[in-house]
Amino acid sequence: MRKVSRLGHEARLGWSLVAPALSVIALIAIFPLGWTFWESLHLHELRMPWLGKPFVGLANYIEIAKDPRFWAALGHTAFFTVVSISLELMIGLFLALAMNRVFRGRGFVRAAVLVPWAIPTVVAALLWRFIFESQGGIANALLVKAGFLQEPMVWFIQTSTAWVPVILADVWKTTPFVALLLLAGLQNIDLTLYEAAAVDGANAWWQLRHITLPLLKPAILVTLIFRTLDGFRVFDLIYVLTGGGPGTSTEPVALYTFNALLQNLRFGYGSALSVVIFAITFGLALFYVRGLGVRLGGDES
Amino acid sequence: MFLASCGRAPNPNETVLTFSGSALGAEGTLVAKQLKRFMELNPGVRVELQRTPDDASQRHQLYVQWLNARVGNPSILQLDVVWTPEFAAAGWVLPLDKYAPPRAEFFPATISANTWAGKLYALPWFADVGLLYRRTDLVPNEPKTLEEMVAQARAAMSRRGGPKYGIVSQGARYEGLITGFVEYLGAFGGRIIDDKGEVVVNRPEAVRALEFMRDELYKSQVAPLDVLTWHEEEARFAFQNGNAVFMRNWPYPVAAMSDTAQSKVAGKFTVSPMPASGTAPNGHSTAALGGAQLAINAYTDHPDAAYKLIAYLTAPEQMLERAVAVGQYPTRPALYSDTRMRGAIGIPLENARRAIESATPRPVTPIYTELSEILQIELHRALVRQVEPTEALNSAAARINALIERTGMRKLMTAGTHTE
Repeated sequence: MRKVSRLGHEARLGWSLVAPALSVIALIAIFPLGWTFWESLHLHELRMPWLGKPFVGLANYIEIAKDPRFWAALGHTAFFTVVSISLELMIGLFLALAMNRVFRGRGFVRAAVLVPWAIPTVVAALLWRFIFESQGGIANALLVKAGFLQEPMVWFIQTSTAWVPVILADVWKTTPFVALLLLAGLQNIDLTLYEAAAVDGANAWWQLRHITLPLLKPAILVTLIFRTLDGFRVFDLIYVLTGGGPGTSTEPVALYTFNALLQNLRFGYGSALSVVIFAITFGLALFYVRGLGVRLGGDES
Repeated sequence: MFLASCGRAPNPNETVLTFSGSALGAEGTLVAKQLKRFMELNPGVRVELQRTPDDASQRHQLYVQWLNARVGNPSILQLDVVWTPEFAAAGWVLPLDKYAPPRAEFFPATISANTWAGKLYALPWFADVGLLYRRTDLVPNEPKTLEEMVAQARAAMSRRGGPKYGIVSQGARYEGLITGFVEYLGAFGGRIIDDKGEVVVNRPEAVRALEFMRDELYKSQVAPLDVLTWHEEEARFAFQNGNAVFMRNWPYPVAAMSDTAQSKVAGKFTVSPMPASGTAPNGHSTAALGGAQLAINAYTDHPDAAYKLIAYLTAPEQMLERAVAVGQYPTRPALYSDTRMRGAIGIPLENARRAIESATPRPVTPIYTELSEILQIELHRALVRQVEPTEALNSAAARINALIERTGMRKLMTAGTHTE
């Protein structure tokens, strides 16, 4: 009896101690989320007050499900995420391995590599836009000179070529971040493992496959979570570079939502889109955290 | 912040109006001057200047948020030409009919753009109009048809040392693409929405107009593919540097392009209205209409004083002063024969007047912004050759019809008398 009541007391104290934090979370995360969800069940067009603000249940979600532009945007987002992250991981791993070696000026190189990451996305996007824009642009001039192109081309009017500057810009900007996360992971690996492997006659490739990569898995998974969620919410880069064009063939879901919500001021429909994006990113995060948890448990045993 | 109110103590008997409008640089000086004169003429009325973003879509967003919250300031709103029906249908601006505004003194197109359901909701302050710029040293004669324009462009390009581009314009996926399309559409006798409110943007005339635009890019190749990513400024740079024979643009570049310090074409260009197609019997020379309107905020406490200020700012004297000071086109045809206007806008007055007379409002409907977004996407898809023009326009028409249904516009339009 006594023990229970003391536990109850401690629990109460515990709750009262975390109450301020919980109420802040409720205020800044749960309340807006709940409001957005409530809004998404209404027809609410800010520029059409004559429609009123009737409760429409799931009508906005049904409109989303039937909207080919939404599904296309989802496809573009997935494409962008998968392609850019694959490249970033490969190049990032390469950079991390290089930076992990002992050489003179290592500190300088590590700092220098971070420069693209430090540049604001909009500025980086404008930079890449300038490089690829117009037939007299830098990219065209270099590619023609090197013989890769017969004549200058207009990159932003074909879907396949419009993706090139977008992916390049993202890889350029984010690879340093990936490399740094992986470098942190590499430095946690016990060097004696490599010594032991070397004594056993393992070559560099074998060491990479059987020591480095398995032990780097937690760092890789953390990187993947960050980058997938970022990739899924991509907005400013594409907004500046292609504006979602040509047509809407590079438009990601975040841009489509921005358009519905802030250009067309369709608060109901736009809120429903926001809820859908939230559900998808939440699902992805859950999937990764679970995946990560399982692997970590496996490593420990 | 409150330029016009500096150094005055608040007076409870004063009527206080707030005015929001373009107020940067020379325009700001002019507005302050005119507001001051208005206050001297109307003792007991004080006008405060309220800053709003210069960017149109930002200003629009801000207005909509304020009006949803029923805020009475600014008491006078500066509306873009395509916003008036939206604000009118929403009940955010007041009809002006009871003040008997002098409608007949303005260009008819500028009045119909501001008319919704038979009532006038704003007075045109200054006009913007799509113009065809031409290099007079390469093409001395104004083209009478679109076909002649293309031929002239080709001939000038193929001459030794001729410019590399024939016709430059705004082809990126944004509102500018619609203004250009409206001009070709009119040239072929097509429309987006007809007088009965039917969506007719997929009729044969419209398809031919879009095909003509596409052929300029791929067949006659007088337009560079770059224009599909261009806005006003890129077109101006190309023309100003002597790289183009023709340019479609608004009046604003005239000043910079007439300046020999920065322009290679100073003294070598003129403007005229966009020509009609020579192959379309119902086609007519068409210019897209832009510009600013002044309207009364429906939530203001002083609508009568607000109208007085609007009437003052749109009166001939103030409009003339504006044209001379900042080169903005008056919306009153009478001013174009006023001798004081000579030299004010840098191009022959007669050509400017003809262009405004050929101006057609974009569809006058409260759902314009979303209608325009649909068209921007479909037109761009056709021009980058993702789809055929017919398919693009059929899809646009279907989506515009769906938009009309969704927003209850069908009912609203039959209640009104004016659709385009």
